[in-house]
Amino acid sequence: MSEHTPVISLQGMSKAYNMGEGRVQALSDASLALPPGEMLALTGPSGSGKSTLLNIAGLIDTPDTGRYLLDGEDVSQLDETCRTLLRRNAIGFIFQGFNLVPVMSVADNIDYPLFLAGINAGERKRRVAEMLEKVGLREQAQRRPDALSGGQRQRVAVARALVKWPRLVIADEPTANLDSHTADQVITLIRELCHAEGAACLVATHDDRLSTRCDRVLAMRDGYILPDAPFTHLAAPAVAA
Amino acid sequence: MKWFKFAVLNTLRNRRRSATTLLIAALGTAAILLAAGFAEYTYQGLAESAARDAGHLVVARSDYFQHEEDTPLQYGIDNYPALRSRLLADPDVRYLLPRIQFSGLVSNGDKSVIMMATGIDPDSEFLIKGPFLNMKEGSLLSSAKSDTPQILVGEALAKTLKVHPGSGLTLLASTTDGALNALDVQVRGTFSTGVPEYDKRALYTDLETAQRMLVTQKISQLGVYLSDMKLADDDRARIEATAGKGFTTQTWRDQAFFYKSVRELYNRIFGALGGIIAIIVLFVIANAMSMSIIERTREIGTLRALGTLPQQLTRIFAMEGAVLGGAGALVGAVLALIVSVILLYAGIQMPPPPGRSVGYPLSVSINPLIYALVVLGVVVLATLCATLVSRRSARKPIVEALNHV
Ligand SMILES: Nc1ncnc2c1ncn2[C@@H]1O[C@H](COP(=O)(O)OP(=O)(O)OP(=O)(O)O)[C@@H](O)[C@H]1O
Ligand SMILES: [Mg+2]
Repeated sequence: MSEHTPVISLQGMSKAYNMGEGRVQALSDASLALPPGEMLALTGPSGSGKSTLLNIAGLIDTPDTGRYLLDGEDVSQLDETCRTLLRRNAIGFIFQGFNLVPVMSVADNIDYPLFLAGINAGERKRRVAEMLEKVGLREQAQRRPDALSGGQRQRVAVARALVKWPRLVIADEPTANLDSHTADQVITLIRELCHAEGAACLVATHDDRLSTRCDRVLAMRDGYILPDAPFTHLAAPAVAA
Repeated sequence: MKWFKFAVLNTLRNRRRSATTLLIAALGTAAILLAAGFAEYTYQGLAESAARDAGHLVVARSDYFQHEEDTPLQYGIDNYPALRSRLLADPDVRYLLPRIQFSGLVSNGDKSVIMMATGIDPDSEFLIKGPFLNMKEGSLLSSAKSDTPQILVGEALAKTLKVHPGSGLTLLASTTDGALNALDVQVRGTFSTGVPEYDKRALYTDLETAQRMLVTQKISQLGVYLSDMKLADDDRARIEATAGKGFTTQTWRDQAFFYKSVRELYNRIFGALGGIIAIIVLFVIANAMSMSIIERTREIGTLRALGTLPQQLTRIFAMEGAVLGGAGALVGAVLALIVSVILLYAGIQMPPPPGRSVGYPLSVSINPLIYALVVLGVVVLATLCATLVSRRSARKPIVEALNHV
């Protein structure tokens, strides 16, 4: 793949849900492309289709129509096993509710994706330690998630998403459960790590302060990506003040 | 190993629920093991007494086993001394117990009742059966010569005839030719076999008296006692060959009708009981697993999003089932072992089985093979049922699982 191949390219994505009598068009003809290392924010009111788009991009949901190229490869027609393996190797997830595994220590939570990928124990240990260092949780490595603050938990989740050097990071409202100061720190962390690893990142958020930290912002409404979104193509990367 | 650790940690999540599940699995396993041990102990006891009564092997003319006799000893063994020396030459053979079975009447002068008489060789018969024959009055028969032929009568028969040791009786029976013969005898003792029905008719006399009564040199059958009861199946064919043409040799099992019917009955009762217990245990494990799985729906969604295959999740749940079932089964096995050992020393008596007049000690066998099989069975079934209940959840659409509240 060339330097200019987008990490993901979504073309004409649509998805509708049956809601009682009628049908809700959650996503209508949405298209977007993300180059490596770019962090794209999706904003829009509740129900505008942000999560739907993220789930499709994260290969945990399927569109009704549309074409999806991941690293230039068409992944629209893959079966569930292939999609699972692609997620395992290429996609990192950060959830609003942290979604750490409570019975595993911080280190084991971060280790899990590497373990799944079948990487040997020595290499895993090294990468987990490195990641713990990067997210500033070396001291907490052996703690259980429920002994951590919300901000610390989300940092563990960020580490878990990025430890496998993914091509794409999906973050659906990653800071919605955090106070604004902590939210700032977490979003900065995600951004820095994605830039450093060259991972494209899709963030859904309500928070305008957060979206301004991203490289680019797309607004959504009623399942459409708005063409005239105010923050599209921000010139300079916005670094925390 | 990491999967297994994860599974163990998961079972420790809801400790109270896991403890309850484990306890029920343990009690169920212990109940199954104790029931099996009790049945096994009973079978052993019955097998031994059956083998003691008949002999580990029974040699007789082939016709004897196949046809009803028209006249006494029609299918009897002719040349017993020759057969005896042939069989005693076999290294495994310890004792030979010749027997003559005949029936007739026994009379005290005022009344006559039916008898089922057995002519025996007193020395070897009582050597083997002696400690197990419950003498009520008088003493055992002996091979020493006496003026009047001696007999032992069943306790109930003695009561019917109002006789005691020293009393005289007359035996009446058909000879091998079909003529009627009578013989005056003296009661030497009374005994109880533990089977009241049998004690009403049973009568023992020595071989010689029986042969005089029937006017013959034949015997009915020959009980063969080996150095070990376990050799019976292996040695049967060889003994049959040694006995020669026209003879058939059966093992004690072919003769043990009571043993066989009790075994069949117990197998059904305890089999059904075990089945029900197993179902309850599995139901409890399935229930605990499905609760635990539903509580973890969001985590399942997360793990799937991270790239865990549904079959890997199912495997974790299967291991959790195995851990719960296995821990429960092991605790249950220890429990059963403790109870078994206590029973061994407690000396609790069981009431007599149907048709018997004496009880037997409540004891249970400890059979390592049965323990291993039951523990393994519980683990396998718990694993299977955890797999079954987790299959659907592991394949639930990821977004749906992640949005589960
Ligand atoms: N599983 C579903 N079943 C039915 N309708 C759904 C389902 N998921 C989403 N929808 C509908 O699709 C539309 C888009 O939902 P989506 O979750 O993508 O919005 P969103 O922009 O993420 O909203 P929020 O900001 O509240 O998270 C909404 O109208 C929603 O009700
Ligand atoms: Mg959403």
